[in-house]
Amino acid sequence: MKYILMMNGTKANFAEYAKWSKKDMEANTAFMRTFSKQLKDEGVFVATEGLGWPEQAKLVRASKDGMPVTDGVFPESKEFLAGYWIIDVESPEQAYKIAARASAAPGRDGATGGLAIEVRQVLCGHSDLGL
Amino acid sequence: MKYILLMTGTRAGVSTYQAWTRADADAHMAVLKSINKELTESGELVGVEGLAGPDQARLVRGLRGGMPVTDGIFPESKEFLLGYWMVDVNTPERALEIAGRISAAPGPGGVPTNMPIEVRQVMSHSTKPA
Repeated sequence: MKYILMMNGTKANFAEYAKWSKKDMEANTAFMRTFSKQLKDEGVFVATEGLGWPEQAKLVRASKDGMPVTDGVFPESKEFLAGYWIIDVESPEQAYKIAARASAAPGRDGATGGLAIEVRQVLCGHSDLGL
Repeated sequence: MKYILLMTGTRAGVSTYQAWTRADADAHMAVLKSINKELTESGELVGVEGLAGPDQARLVRGLRGGMPVTDGIFPESKEFLLGYWMVDVNTPERALEIAGRISAAPGPGGVPTNMPIEVRQVMSHSTKPA
């Protein structure tokens, strides 16, 4: 069973993160690298990505003539996807345990902030989507 | 340049979609599949995934007694990720164009959904495992 573990944040959360000391950021990045490597060693790793910041996010809707209409205005409450892991595990419980490990990533001044990780099953991939 | 095209929706939006007729849902999927096929042939498609519905979503924070603390309560306004495409394109404009085509996929009665698609660049070289 494939699960996606998502880190989400508002623009305010991202602004807060931008104020972290270099040392805190390095500790967080080191944790993320080690975590991904552990998932690989455990044989559950499928993919991980980090996304560009909310300031660069665009919403696209189709116009009548088929040209994309873009908009970069979001409500303040909007949760932006910051990054994710996809894992292949035996049960939802195993996915939740791994999410709890991600949640323990070090934050500002080394505090482990209990970062909320959203967990969802991934249902269809290439073969179901016509590939 | 890698971009991710995110399709999101609230619980209410997902319920609306679930009420579509079979024919409308099939027509919608047929267009998405043809876009996928085209992006595969052009070599631009990196990945595409569809996620389980919001009812199965859980938030996980830390551990208590060695067990993860899970919670399935979200505000009604919560936008859930429903699925995504990742594309590797030469320009940001091309990513927006592909997102526009996904947004133009037909909804009920064949009318384009005009669903907003969020477009974000993918950055993450630093978090890739060795």
